[in-house]
Amino acid sequence: MRSIVYYVREFLRPEWIRKFFSVKTAPLETPSYFKGYPTRTEKECTGCFTCMMICPAPGAIAVLRKKDEWEPEVYPGHCIRCGLCVEACPEGVLSSGRILDVTRRDRTAFASWYHLDVDDNLCMRCGNCCVSCPVNRQIDPQLAGTGTSASDEVIMRIEGGRVRILHMEKCTGCTTCETQCPNRAIRVARMVEGVQLGEAEA
Amino acid sequence: MSILQKIKNTVRSRSIHVSYVDVGSCNGCDIEVLACLAPRYDIEQYGIYVHNNPREADVLLVIGSVTPQWVDKLRDIWDKIPEPKVAVAIGNCPISGCVYARRGTLTSPPVEKYIPIAAQVPGCPPRPTEILNAILSVAPLIFKDYEEKQP
Repeated sequence: MRSIVYYVREFLRPEWIRKFFSVKTAPLETPSYFKGYPTRTEKECTGCFTCMMICPAPGAIAVLRKKDEWEPEVYPGHCIRCGLCVEACPEGVLSSGRILDVTRRDRTAFASWYHLDVDDNLCMRCGNCCVSCPVNRQIDPQLAGTGTSASDEVIMRIEGGRVRILHMEKCTGCTTCETQCPNRAIRVARMVEGVQLGEAEA
Repeated sequence: MSILQKIKNTVRSRSIHVSYVDVGSCNGCDIEVLACLAPRYDIEQYGIYVHNNPREADVLLVIGSVTPQWVDKLRDIWDKIPEPKVAVAIGNCPISGCVYARRGTLTSPPVEKYIPIAAQVPGCPPRPTEILNAILSVAPLIFKDYEEKQP
């Protein structure tokens, strides 16, 4: 009997009734370190498109030419807020949460290069890739026709009836060879690796 | 404004029934919707109740880019919800298809092609607070004075 009275008195308290019918926990605020949509910092964009190349979501970021400057634009319906563009940007144009602080503290960065791969089963040794490559053309202006070259400095040349890639690191990723290849034998891939700077030096 | 309308407004502001449907997503947004139910966010203290029966629902949360199997069924679900009703797109998938918007995938976003969407919550996945804010801000727009707004 005493417990029933206790409970009735407890539940009739105005404070208890008010708390029962109102929102109990305060609306949660977004923490400061939350990775939101990338926003512009005051740094100037150079239009290198690194952010567009590393972005995993289709159509999430576009670097647009506005008046006299480049401007990265993020599309909220497409962006997955992974923060890779913020991390990859060499200039620090974008900012999101504490990504920039963490990369500066840990001295992390993305190293990228282009990987050339020739499928020997598809390649018909026409030499189009070697001839069309603008870097090849600059190094060896004599390179023409069958893609053979006397120079060792070219990216690739025809040697003994097949394409041999000599200097992959010189590739600028323009994919001219890919578009000129008649049967998609040569592929250009952009490779990205996370690296920590300063460790080797220290 | 009639007294009946006032009563309806009061009741509707504290009793929003939510039904969610996943039309082909990675389940990340489902987890965020479930996180709204958990004590940390506690969606029920705002008077929002989740029970997955479209016939009892006011708000339909659509999650996921639309797969072919869902095209007709999504319309069925939308037709089953009694008026007044509102559909909210949760996540990037119903808006743009997100990472599924590529060649060779069996999805046909956006979901607006199939049912009318009143609000979108972008994010992959959106935060539970963003989902909560979207429901709380879109519900009064549709439900308040619903009968008086009818032509």
